[in-house]
Amino acid sequence: MKELLKAVFLVDLIKGLAVTFRNQKPSLIYTEQYPKERPLVAERYRGAPRLNVHPDTDETLCIACNLCALACPEQLIVVGAERNKETRRKELTTFTYDVSRCMFCGLCEDACPVDALELTQDFELASYTREGAIWDRQMLEEGPLPTEYKH
Amino acid sequence: MATSTTFLDTNELVLNMGPQHPSTHGVLRVILKLDGEKVMGADCVIGYLHRGVEKIAENRTYQQFAPYVDRMDYVAAVSNGLGYCLAVETLGGIEVPERAQCVRVILTELNRIASHLLWLGTHALDIGAMTPVFYCFREREEVLKIFEKYCGARLTTHAFRIGGLQYETYDTFEKDCHAFCDWFEKKVDEYEELLTTNRIWVGRTKGVGILDAEACKTYGVTGPVLRAAGVEWDLRKAQPYCGYEKYDFDIPTCANGDTYDRYIVRMQEFRQSVRIIRQAVDSLPEGPIKGRVSKVFKPPIGEAYESIEAPKGELGYYVVSDGSTQPYRLRVRPPSFVNLQALDEMCRGCLVADVVAIIGTIDIVLGEVDR
Amino acid sequence: MEEILDNPYLQPIIATLLIVAVFPLVAGYMVLAERKVLADLQVRLGPMRVGPYGFLQPLADAFKLMLKEDIIPAASDKWIFWGAPVLSTFTALTAFAVIPFSDKFYVADVNIGILFILAMSSLGILGLILGGWSSNSKYSLLGALRSAAQMVSYEVPLGFTTVTALMVAETLSMQGIVQSQLDKGVWIAFSNYGLMLVPAVVFIIAAVAETNRAPFDLPEAESEIVAGFHTEYSGFRWALFFLAEYASIFVICGIAVTVFFGGWLRPFANVGFLETPLNVAFPILLFVVIGAGCALGAVRVTLAYEKAIMGVLALAMFLVAGLFAIPMINELIIGFFWFLFKVLIFIYVFIWVRGTFPRFRYDQLMQVGWKYLIPISMGGLIVNGIVLLFTS
Repeated sequence: MKELLKAVFLVDLIKGLAVTFRNQKPSLIYTEQYPKERPLVAERYRGAPRLNVHPDTDETLCIACNLCALACPEQLIVVGAERNKETRRKELTTFTYDVSRCMFCGLCEDACPVDALELTQDFELASYTREGAIWDRQMLEEGPLPTEYKH
Repeated sequence: MATSTTFLDTNELVLNMGPQHPSTHGVLRVILKLDGEKVMGADCVIGYLHRGVEKIAENRTYQQFAPYVDRMDYVAAVSNGLGYCLAVETLGGIEVPERAQCVRVILTELNRIASHLLWLGTHALDIGAMTPVFYCFREREEVLKIFEKYCGARLTTHAFRIGGLQYETYDTFEKDCHAFCDWFEKKVDEYEELLTTNRIWVGRTKGVGILDAEACKTYGVTGPVLRAAGVEWDLRKAQPYCGYEKYDFDIPTCANGDTYDRYIVRMQEFRQSVRIIRQAVDSLPEGPIKGRVSKVFKPPIGEAYESIEAPKGELGYYVVSDGSTQPYRLRVRPPSFVNLQALDEMCRGCLVADVVAIIGTIDIVLGEVDR
Repeated sequence: MEEILDNPYLQPIIATLLIVAVFPLVAGYMVLAERKVLADLQVRLGPMRVGPYGFLQPLADAFKLMLKEDIIPAASDKWIFWGAPVLSTFTALTAFAVIPFSDKFYVADVNIGILFILAMSSLGILGLILGGWSSNSKYSLLGALRSAAQMVSYEVPLGFTTVTALMVAETLSMQGIVQSQLDKGVWIAFSNYGLMLVPAVVFIIAAVAETNRAPFDLPEAESEIVAGFHTEYSGFRWALFFLAEYASIFVICGIAVTVFFGGWLRPFANVGFLETPLNVAFPILLFVVIGAGCALGAVRVTLAYEKAIMGVLALAMFLVAGLFAIPMINELIIGFFWFLFKVLIFIYVFIWVRGTFPRFRYDQLMQVGWKYLIPISMGGLIVNGIVLLFTS
């Protein structure tokens, strides 16, 4: 009997309507206004790659060991090095990183023995050309400079 | 049949559903033979998302291939990673530390929730309920935030490495998991209020796409679809891995094997996953997170097969080693691909609208079907 | 001049021009309202980028649709493909002719008003069927056939419940129906010892189905048959279908309000002491609150032109509130206010229902129509008839 009455008075449907009505509370709105409000990504976020430099001397931390290039599943890192005649150490000359093929797996960052290569919190990597997605050493050290929209 | 006595010659209408169709969950193409709106047969055409993942594996080292498996079932990337890591660890005889196993359980169960949430949202959307999808994505976002904080990626996480984990848990990991569990349980109640008793929902799902236990076994269908047909089969209980035997949980089953039962089974699995996460977080042991794996990992010559209970069913990895750093052959047993075979059997005799509901209820991801 | 002013056709012509000119804009803002309300139900924000809080979105949409490439499929029946949306829009807008917006503002008060509206709304379906059929696409065809079957089954309960209400009102003229509710002192939905509530509910359900709204939106079920009858339509032709859909929603809500819920009458129209609080205080308060909301929005938005728009809106709202305070103008517009207010409530309910329920399946739709709604509406007709016979 109770079931029948429930069916006649559409209790199941009204329950559903109540759920959606409850969720109308403005404080429950979950949307982020992306270009207006920039999202806060996590500390460990694996975004744009960066080649770290020494904060005081501005010299690169990279020792040109080529481990990142070996670890990369897509083989998109090319490390250029030159042996310094005086110190007998390898020194970094060029470093290219093809962001367009990168899947941000983090293996290069894990492989780096000196914390020179790092995936950072920058996530806006769009460029107008395909070539623009191939980052050279300068770009990797400076990081991307995305346009910020004001409204 | 078509003789001179019939005035109207009736033909089957062949309707090409997909690969560009709003509710084929990606790029599935189904060729439907229709009599009016009644489905007489459904042929699946797959391969639009084929990337040759198994072949790629032969040209990558074992560690390098790990991020690729995330891209098969991209809504349950963590489960994929777990299956692959387990297979390679068996192959190489690597011991995984307790703590790593426990974190793996937490993350895979969170991922099960995320995957089921995506299923619920899109399934409800297919059936015409617009709102659950937004609620589900809100909850899924919270799971993804935990992933992001843990390993730095949201979808294709690459959370596990061969031998254990790469990342130690972050400071508020336990707190976040508990907070999510408490919050999420209330949200599951909300979905149930919105759908479980709703007469339109029940009408659309009850008795639709029935696949009984016998047919499930014939097709090799696993996962919630099998459990909805009344077979209590869950690899987490049947052949426990990753220390699942330590946790107390039930295998939800139903009897009829229709779309509604599959819905009920998955709703119950939400609650069971929450139970497992709570237990695992509370019993998280201290210790190392990675076993002993050499940087140049060369497993001995041999082969290994490991399967896990992914959100969609049995996910198996078969790896053959020739002693080098790269697998000689890798084969995946994807649950979506196997489950999709049953589509024709489930669709026969129902209406076009039901086909959409049935595709939704199998819970396929085309990345995994096509690989 | 006198001659022109006394001409009996003057008011209808002005009203017609006003409706035809204004309704497309109204439909645009109905779409915006729908998107905003749906977004609100779904914990989203809805359109926010065009203008302050997305307020200029309808204009941007209309502009975009007008600029879109005009595509007619090669295999379609061109003239019918061209004519179908025109037919739909035409009939939907024609139905406005007999809607009593207020005791002063209406195009015509025909003595068969309700019949005219029902006829027009069933003719509108022809547009959908022709559009679906002439597209020469399988999805469109399925959508068109679905809409044909749906209309046939849901016109019947719609008709039965309307007849029940007409029995109580004892007239077919739309103005007459409202007048009879004023005379009786009770809205038809609550008359006959509350028995009329059953036909009222059935009418609303059938109205949702008649306008192809969720959960009865089978002709355009996007997850099954892509977009149903308008799969092949794009650009402004598609916009015309949209316009027709929203016009018919407005019309059917207008009928529901007129026939069952007192039309332009205020609630408790015969209770004298409620005159001032409901007819003066309520609208003033409502518009002041909306105006305050706009003013708050003007403070919140950052860009200068957005601030200006919100500010002007706020001022306009305060101005309208002021108008309601002037007794002479109040008398003119209060009926219109109550009619729109009720219609908007109905439209909100339509959107709310759309945001909550899953879609029916084709056979279930037929079942609901033939097995539940038609018997219930027939029963309602008989029971209410008997009650009327013994009470009058």
